[in-house]
Amino acid sequence: MTRFKALSRMKEIMTDYYVEAKTTREKPVAWVTSGAPVEFLFAMDVIPIYPENYAAMCAANHQSLELMEAAEAAGFSQDICAYARTDFGADITQGGPVGGLPAPRFLLCSTNICKTVIKWYEVVARKYDVPLFIVDTPFLHHGLTRELIDYTVTQMKHLEAFLAETLGRPFDRERFLEVLQLSNQASTYWMKMLELGRKIPSPFNSLDTFIHLGPIVTLRGTRTCVDYYKLLYEEVAERAARNIPSVPGEKYRLLWDNLPVWFKMRRLGEFFEERKTTLVTTTYANSWGNYAHIYQDGSGDIYEPIAAAYLNVYINYGFEDRIRYLASLIEEFSLTGFVMHSNRSCKPYSVGMYRMQEELTRLTGKPGVVIEADQNDPRAYSDAQVETRLEALIESMEAVS
Amino acid sequence: MFEAFRDVVSNVKGTVLDREASLGRPVIGVMPAYFPMELIWAAGGYPVQLWGNRLPLVRVDAYLQSYCCTVGRSILELELSGGADMVQAYAFTSFCDTLVNLREVYGLLFDKPTFELTIPITRTVEAKRQLLGSVISEVLEGLERATGRKATPESLAEAAELFGRTRALQRRLYELRRARPGLVPSSDFYTALKAGFFLPPAEYNERLGGLLKAMEEREAPAGRRPRLVLSGMVFDPMEILGIMDELGLDVVDDDFANGWRTASKEPIGVGDLVSGVTDFLFNPAPCSCLYNPDNDRHDYLVDKARQADADGVLLWYVKFCEPDAFDRPQLIERLNREGLAATFIEVELSMTNFDSIRTRLDAFREMLGG
Repeated sequence: MTRFKALSRMKEIMTDYYVEAKTTREKPVAWVTSGAPVEFLFAMDVIPIYPENYAAMCAANHQSLELMEAAEAAGFSQDICAYARTDFGADITQGGPVGGLPAPRFLLCSTNICKTVIKWYEVVARKYDVPLFIVDTPFLHHGLTRELIDYTVTQMKHLEAFLAETLGRPFDRERFLEVLQLSNQASTYWMKMLELGRKIPSPFNSLDTFIHLGPIVTLRGTRTCVDYYKLLYEEVAERAARNIPSVPGEKYRLLWDNLPVWFKMRRLGEFFEERKTTLVTTTYANSWGNYAHIYQDGSGDIYEPIAAAYLNVYINYGFEDRIRYLASLIEEFSLTGFVMHSNRSCKPYSVGMYRMQEELTRLTGKPGVVIEADQNDPRAYSDAQVETRLEALIESMEAVS
Repeated sequence: MFEAFRDVVSNVKGTVLDREASLGRPVIGVMPAYFPMELIWAAGGYPVQLWGNRLPLVRVDAYLQSYCCTVGRSILELELSGGADMVQAYAFTSFCDTLVNLREVYGLLFDKPTFELTIPITRTVEAKRQLLGSVISEVLEGLERATGRKATPESLAEAAELFGRTRALQRRLYELRRARPGLVPSSDFYTALKAGFFLPPAEYNERLGGLLKAMEEREAPAGRRPRLVLSGMVFDPMEILGIMDELGLDVVDDDFANGWRTASKEPIGVGDLVSGVTDFLFNPAPCSCLYNPDNDRHDYLVDKARQADADGVLLWYVKFCEPDAFDRPQLIERLNREGLAATFIEVELSMTNFDSIRTRLDAFREMLGG
């Protein structure tokens, strides 16, 4: 993995974020899903807290297992999403890197990443006796349609009214427009950085991008976030200009589909590096580039681009669109193969993956592999099985020319 | 009394092929849950409900992970094994993540048309109406393309009457069971319900009417045995119902998606189809898959158990069903707080050994004082 200078700044930002959230007496805290339209919250000076981000931090710190066991002891089945179990455990024990999350005043979730979040947030809403607002973003079986945009826009307008009522003050439209622009800018820097992966050899590794996701997930819509991704982009761009590779002697270039295996980041990083293989692009990190067009200056309905951005999420796409997108990444990033993570905790990402793998190989001629794992639960992961499959993939690839 | 229903359930393919020929309507496979049969019938189709099956899971492993529920896995196995050859098209709802993706899997694997009744999970009333308006039109167009016939106001009204009657008759069967616990062995009760997944509505209504007539005259056995309410998605594997009968556990009511949650639905209002379908989807029984805090599932189950004078609630958990798994701990806690015993069994539709289920049910029976 690449050690970017920006990393220390990111750590400061994330620490400040959690310290403020844990200590604030003035600002309301809301728990939100990673695909929720957070711009509405920043416009109202609400601190959004992302249980998914926290669960990932717990796993990266190798704390997820003990927290999941606490949730399971409280009756939650091992069959449910490991992020949810990790967070339930953190809530029960006030555990994890920041000792649990601050209590929410309300909850906001969007179904663009899964329907699981509805169930997860229902549990939280019952426990804390707080309101839950859902922005429902139906699956795009046939692409983005006028009807789905209208449906989502109507809900977003209702969200404004919900916020005004819950917080006892009018929705701040002026601030909202500023936030949208900041979201736009941060996502634009993020995407510009990710696109530097087209360069051979790649100046970064996708495992790095997973680490650097924190602010774009949690602080998208703030100046801090824009400044951070400008800093990161400039550092990566400089590496690209100076031809500094993430993996020296890069021979193979891979796409990673699905969430990371948070508790195996270091080991997988070393595994790939030893084999001169760079993870160059991921559908997961790319998802936060969606917001680069969330604000369209000047004309038109301000809500429509927001609705489009929050509907048009990779795991909300129909499979043919997913396959086309994956094929385009393979082409544009000069990839030599792809890895699909069949993630026990994420059915929308994973169910149907076996067939997609076959189709993608047929379409691109590039070899791919499906690995069976889990984003947060080490009990659903076997080093030997995963690495054997990855070895086989690497052996079947032609080195980049 | 139940023989005619057993014949249907034990020979689904033969039943469906025979009725398809006599009706002259194309078979539409209906996936879980709450797709209104009325729309299919009105558009000239013959709806056959697929709530999973007991096939050994062989071919499906190449397409669906083992962490998908056996409802979805067995339905796909049925198509892969040629057991659903007669199905011309599939009707889905956006019931859960697995089924939403399963529709896409069908799109990649098969040439059969599919359509989805997308269920809006929003509390924004205007948005819900907006979306359902376009979804219903799209679904009807898809059905009409598959059947080559048109849904008309008359055919919709006829279908609403037919399926409304089915559910009214099923509700009467439920009422009898509640009022006279032990009157019907659970395995027979659910066989009678299950036959309705496959038979055309008029024929099923006639058989059910006959059954009710015979049941009305019967008395419940004397004495009180432990009384249960069951809650879950599907009442399979039905061997478990047989075990309950053997153990002397009287099921007095249920909250199955393919049981009371569906049977409780009033006839669809077809004058304003959007309102009619909205009401159909969300009322009267809540469901773990359809977020609706205005109709709280905890309160509902407590009331249901009390009204049925039940001693306990058994959560019938089909493994990997996340919506039910998320609800379980808080639901059990609430039921216990209300003085109702509650436990769960973990089932898979493909399971063949029921020893541990029997042991668990026996322990629950003892706990209930049976």
